Amino acid sequence: MVRLTRQYFDVKDVVWSTETSFKEGILSIHKEELLEQVKPLMKSVTNVDLELVKPGEDTRIIHLLDTIQPMFKVEGSGQQYSGFFGEPDTVGEGVTNLLRGLTVMESAPLPWDDSASSGLLYPRDAIMDMTGPIAGFTPFAETINLVVIYELVEGKSSAEYDRDLRLIGLTIAQELAKLTQGQTPDETEVFSIDEVNPDLPNVVLVWKCQNQGVYSNTLLYGLPIDNLVPTLLHPNELLDGCVVSGNYVWPAFKVPTYLHANHPILLELYRQHGKTLNLRGVILGRSHNPTNWHKQRSANFCIKIARCLKAHGLIMAWEGGGNAAVDGMLTIQAAERVGIKASTITFEFGGQDGTEGILLVDDVPEADAVISGGSIEKTYTLPKVSRVVGGDVLRLNKESGGYFPPAKESITFDTTTQLYLSGNQAGHSKLFAESY
Amino acid sequence: MCLEIISRDHDYHWEAGETSVSTLRAIYYVNQFFAGIGGEDKAHLGLHVYDEKKGPAIGIEGLWKGEMEIAKVLACGDNFINNDDLYASILPEIAKVVREVQPHVFIAGPAFNAGRYGVACAKLCDYVRRELKIPSVTAMYYENPAVEMYVRDNYIVETGETAGSMRQALPVLAKLSLKLAKGETIGPARLEGYLPTGHRYNQYHEKTGAQRTVEILLKKLQGEHYRTEVPLRGLESVLPADPVPNVRAAKGALITTGGLVPKGNPDRLKQAFSVTYGKYSIQGLDSIPARDYESIHGGYDTTHVNEDPNRLVPLDELRKLEQEGALREIHHEFFTTCGIGTNVESSKLIGQGIVADLRQEGVEFGILTST
Repeated sequence: MVRLTRQYFDVKDVVWSTETSFKEGILSIHKEELLEQVKPLMKSVTNVDLELVKPGEDTRIIHLLDTIQPMFKVEGSGQQYSGFFGEPDTVGEGVTNLLRGLTVMESAPLPWDDSASSGLLYPRDAIMDMTGPIAGFTPFAETINLVVIYELVEGKSSAEYDRDLRLIGLTIAQELAKLTQGQTPDETEVFSIDEVNPDLPNVVLVWKCQNQGVYSNTLLYGLPIDNLVPTLLHPNELLDGCVVSGNYVWPAFKVPTYLHANHPILLELYRQHGKTLNLRGVILGRSHNPTNWHKQRSANFCIKIARCLKAHGLIMAWEGGGNAAVDGMLTIQAAERVGIKASTITFEFGGQDGTEGILLVDDVPEADAVISGGSIEKTYTLPKVSRVVGGDVLRLNKESGGYFPPAKESITFDTTTQLYLSGNQAGHSKLFAESY
Repeated sequence: MCLEIISRDHDYHWEAGETSVSTLRAIYYVNQFFAGIGGEDKAHLGLHVYDEKKGPAIGIEGLWKGEMEIAKVLACGDNFINNDDLYASILPEIAKVVREVQPHVFIAGPAFNAGRYGVACAKLCDYVRRELKIPSVTAMYYENPAVEMYVRDNYIVETGETAGSMRQALPVLAKLSLKLAKGETIGPARLEGYLPTGHRYNQYHEKTGAQRTVEILLKKLQGEHYRTEVPLRGLESVLPADPVPNVRAAKGALITTGGLVPKGNPDRLKQAFSVTYGKYSIQGLDSIPARDYESIHGGYDTTHVNEDPNRLVPLDELRKLEQEGALREIHHEFFTTCGIGTNVESSKLIGQGIVADLRQEGVEFGILTST
């Protein structure tokens, strides 16, 4: 029997204070004291600051890297974000406390020099607004966001920056969530797939994540998944933080740790479990596999596992762009060929009015249930805002020598590729391309 | 032009002297069969203009509850109107009737899955909308050949395959035609009941992507009707070119989708979603020097290419082969773009541009290196 109890503690407000505490929904943070705890992790970081951004604020957040769900494991094997600070114990059982309505966000202008980046592997500026036309692209216009701002030591490698930023972010998240220990939660949810209704169809989620090197990695129990053939996770492992994002390359397509641990499709499948379907598992693998051979092998492994789970239906979801779409489509094809029905969600192209060119980079005839995550080829004008968190200028178009407009001002983008989470491939957003 | 019918505000204006303000007017087109003239034996007959209602025009008027009336019914034989010359011969008469009546909307069909009738309805709607500036709408089955020809610029209400679906189709046609006549904003295809025109705009749905992804899977599993939100594109296959008969006597060019450019990217090629390509001289070079070239590609780790660009564009090895006589000549420029997230239409344009350049330069084969 595998049961995970998530205890939700609603964060009603966050305030700076002379002590760090969580009382009746109010999270008080003693900034210096909290930052003292991450000092030992600051090897490629000279300074860390914290800023608060709250729903409804006329605020833009830039240079966004990862966003973390603060959680703390109080019962059961392993710990939060298992594999980073201890053994890679299997999680997904016992009790975990979560601060609901709060995120820990990382923001840093990671260097663009050759030593720390390359064609793909440089962090493109990820931008989000708390209000206005793009607020609905992320779930974080509705959460209180504690933004961790990093100042970097010059001349370190991308691997060093990447490691320190993540460990500092995770530490802050866990230290805050730890404050809930011994308190009564606002809500408790129990997750188990042990009971199966034989009259309902069995469904699995295939979740393929980007992993192409430092700055575009996905970490499973602390390690990148580049050499991983698709593997079976209990859904609770994902909910309990076994996957952490290290992907900063394409703002539209990356999936932050917050959305791995609160995977919108997985949570929806859990809501339907026992009612309309039996959730049987999560198959985790790499998207952006390097060759067609690897892609086909990955697709075949996914379907082999799905068949072992006696799946009737499968949701194919992936992180990443066109390369990942090929992996996804091959998996759908492999599923349908053995009679497993599949659906998927993806961003689309189509130009400004939807009629230009073709909507998807790749598809297969079997992919006949494709949900739109919205088109990335649409123009958006971001309004002038009164506050920017993370820096003063945007960092755009590295390949053309760089363009650094003031971040507070209004700016128009002819695609959404710089806009955080606009690809919507975890299904978190209501954004879609409506058909006229 | 393509967006004309989709523009959210229909600014169709009438000159002063408009006759009636209280009731809206429609003109309705049907074929010889629905006009009650006859079947296939009467398909050769030309244009008829009626003051009285015919066929579906009778039923639809009641659905408008007095808000709109049918001013004229036009009818024509399916064979007649599908002959280009004969069709052209009746357009002046149709234009005259439309100018006299000044309708607020032009309606044709439903044509269901009748091919000739469908094309007649759609092309008349297209003509009236485009040339006479009157909003128009027709109705038919989604596989009717007229749909593919006209749906991009015209409202076509979806019907069943046969006239048996008339009762379901008319209320949808009535509602949409009335909205068009009033100049109201037309909502999305799935809510208004017309076939998607291919125009797609970002909006917020009432449900999240996750909810809809699970819902559509459940519909599939339960054997219920479901419709993909992103339509399938239908793959186009490209035939490989014939083999080069004699490479030793041929001139070849190096082409890459791996994004190699002179340092500084002088032509500002995009690192993803390319729309253009570059061509750069390799005249007199035995290999491509790392100090002068770099890859700007946004989809792979370019470290190894930047260390030695010949790993991507293998000029060094090709020069050796050239000296050994394995090929006649390497073209003096290499071609480059970034193959990442590139729209298929843009890819075609890039490919056609490169091929045109190659032809002009007498290049007989290309070596395309990717990553």
